[in-house]
Amino acid sequence: MRFLAMHDMGGGASAPRLVTAGVVALALTCASEVRADALDGIRARGELVWGADQEGGGPFVYPDPADPSRLRGFEVELADLLAAELGVKARFFQADWTTLPEFLDNGTIDVVLNGYEWTPGRAERMRATRPYYIYELQLMAREDETRFATVEALCHPPDGRTYTVGVLGGSGAAVWLQENCPGAVELFEYDGNTNAMMQVQAGVHDATLQDLPIAIFYRGEPQARGLKFVGLPVGRGYYVMYVRREEERLAETINAALSKALTDGRLRTIYLRYGLWNATQEELAHAGAQLAVSKGERSWSAVARYGPVLLKAAGMTVLLSVAAMPLAMLIGLLVALGRLYGPAILKAPLTLYVEVLRGTPVMLQLYVLYFLLPKLLGVGLGPVVAAIAGLAVNYSAYEAEIYRAGLQAIPKGQMEAALALGMTRRTALRRVVIPQAVRIVIPPVTNDFIALFKDTSICSVIAVVELTKQYNMLANNTTAVLELAGMTALLYLAMSYPLSIVARRTEKALAGDVRPVGA
Amino acid sequence: MIRVDNLVKRFGIVDVLRGASLEVERGETAVIIGASGGGKSTLLRCINALESFDDGRIHVDDMTLEPRANGDARELHLRLRRRVGMVFQQFHLFPHLSVLENVMSGPIHALGKPRDEAEPMARSLLERVGLADKAHQRPATLSGGQQQRVAIARALANEPEVMLFDEPTSALDPRMTGEVLSVMADLSRSGQTMLVVSHAMGFVRRSAHRVHVMADGQVIESGLPAQIFEEPRDPRTRDLLEEAAS
Repeated sequence: MRFLAMHDMGGGASAPRLVTAGVVALALTCASEVRADALDGIRARGELVWGADQEGGGPFVYPDPADPSRLRGFEVELADLLAAELGVKARFFQADWTTLPEFLDNGTIDVVLNGYEWTPGRAERMRATRPYYIYELQLMAREDETRFATVEALCHPPDGRTYTVGVLGGSGAAVWLQENCPGAVELFEYDGNTNAMMQVQAGVHDATLQDLPIAIFYRGEPQARGLKFVGLPVGRGYYVMYVRREEERLAETINAALSKALTDGRLRTIYLRYGLWNATQEELAHAGAQLAVSKGERSWSAVARYGPVLLKAAGMTVLLSVAAMPLAMLIGLLVALGRLYGPAILKAPLTLYVEVLRGTPVMLQLYVLYFLLPKLLGVGLGPVVAAIAGLAVNYSAYEAEIYRAGLQAIPKGQMEAALALGMTRRTALRRVVIPQAVRIVIPPVTNDFIALFKDTSICSVIAVVELTKQYNMLANNTTAVLELAGMTALLYLAMSYPLSIVARRTEKALAGDVRPVGA
Repeated sequence: MIRVDNLVKRFGIVDVLRGASLEVERGETAVIIGASGGGKSTLLRCINALESFDDGRIHVDDMTLEPRANGDARELHLRLRRRVGMVFQQFHLFPHLSVLENVMSGPIHALGKPRDEAEPMARSLLERVGLADKAHQRPATLSGGQQQRVAIARALANEPEVMLFDEPTSALDPRMTGEVLSVMADLSRSGQTMLVVSHAMGFVRRSAHRVHVMADGQVIESGLPAQIFEEPRDPRTRDLLEEAAS
């Protein structure tokens, strides 16, 4: 279902129905095969496919520093242990953390095993195993931080200020802050834990709330250098594995294996290796029974609940595109003018500018701008500002090429006629050549605007929560995935369709003006 | 008013002008005739600095153009072009502006005149070329002849001391040629200094005060129209006139 919804968002309604029908049929076939019984499937295949995200980092799953092609982490060992209990091998599947449930749904993976907290929403959507770890949340801040010494002080500052806190998007820490400090702190949700830590180091955020295992793992490492633990851990919760709702047998088999490993001390051995064992874990033996499943929300109540949140995220999408595009057009125009009419010394650097920006992914550029620049310069941009700047700079390269083509399409005689009237070159460009070029480039620039509009989703890598990211985070914690996807698609359509109409009208209205005269 | 001395211009290895010289008196209508490829248009474009040249001198009133002009000459070129009007074979009207705005573009954007001063003058110029009713149309809606008349009005709006015409009727059919030539004849009678490159021999006979014949990058013969047409001295002039008559 998710696949189809995403497809509609990106491509519009023109996809041939036959293909869509075929995809549905194929998806159903695959799904029904997988869903016969996962446990039998795992044994027949000889492997247990577990989904996790290396980007979440240590101590869960991370590339071995000694050999980055191998994986390390307590969950890697846990997966091996489970697979051995089932008499199979464990196979790791890499996916973005928030989308792991989708890969579970479509049968790509058998189990989600990646520091997934038990939450009522997830437990309604998927089947939770018994907890394999009891976590708490640890607040981290810069060593010289004196303004708050506890989580309480962060959430209720005496001077009424609002601190900014980086967290893993959609994580238990994010949920805990939203529930326990509503409106008191400004949350920035990242795709990776270490990204949030680095932005605290760089002074972009005041603090980060991390799962205790993560905080312990990175203490003293370069990613968390200069950070200290603030106050006592808060918000106890459980890491559980998730299997598909109907896979009761698989869940019970995993539970039995976990019990066994807990009793015979193998779990403890693994946790000790990563510094994760503490007194709290003694309670693992009894935990689990009390995890009640809440009633899931369906249809209209979900729309009412999530609608405003999605609408706000859509506002961010609009803000990013509306702010970035004019900037991109302006920079692009200047670059094109420089390349065509500027002094010779400018031409090579400007060509390099265009080629570098077109030749590298926008995601990488955002990383550099947001994560690396503060390290190099010591000052950081806020996520939204960095997102706008990054998109503007990236798109300026494309706009520059469009403008260059547009400017070159204006007959030479236009410039000559303007010069012959005694205009300066600059005036001739401004009054005669550029206005005509602008009319030519309106259709391709509008196309780019619509493309940019959808590209804004990439800004989630630097903690900007726009529509797609918000959808992912909500879908991760709810059963009403279909309703959410529908709302998200409708919102995208509601934003991009008017733009297409405006573009078509403008194009028509200007068509009469651009015909070259007498040439 | 204009004096061209021994002008040399090369495009790569091709010598387009090989020591062309001519003079135009104030108030005079001078016409350059000659076979295609003889360097007529290039000579004209050199006079208002749209082309640089390799040797020789051009004097326009008190201004002197030197060979191989560089960036320092920019100020001079601006001053020169603001006193010399130019009409192109292909009109080169600005398609995104109305007819009126085209005519006002020189005074406003080159001479820096205020709009309320430029507009009445532009309107009276449009009246003079018979197109007052087209002021608010876009150039694309006009016929070729009408467009060229607008182009003439546009060049005149700067009140230039000299008007250069580069084959102004070559892109037009005969009926439209007539309306443009009659505007030019009016202008000539009013005492406007004009230098015209043209193949329209009727206009040359009636309106030219002086005719220059160009061939092989040089002015091979200059004289009164009657003298050039009746007693051409150079055989190449005779060939040219015979060709034009046939």
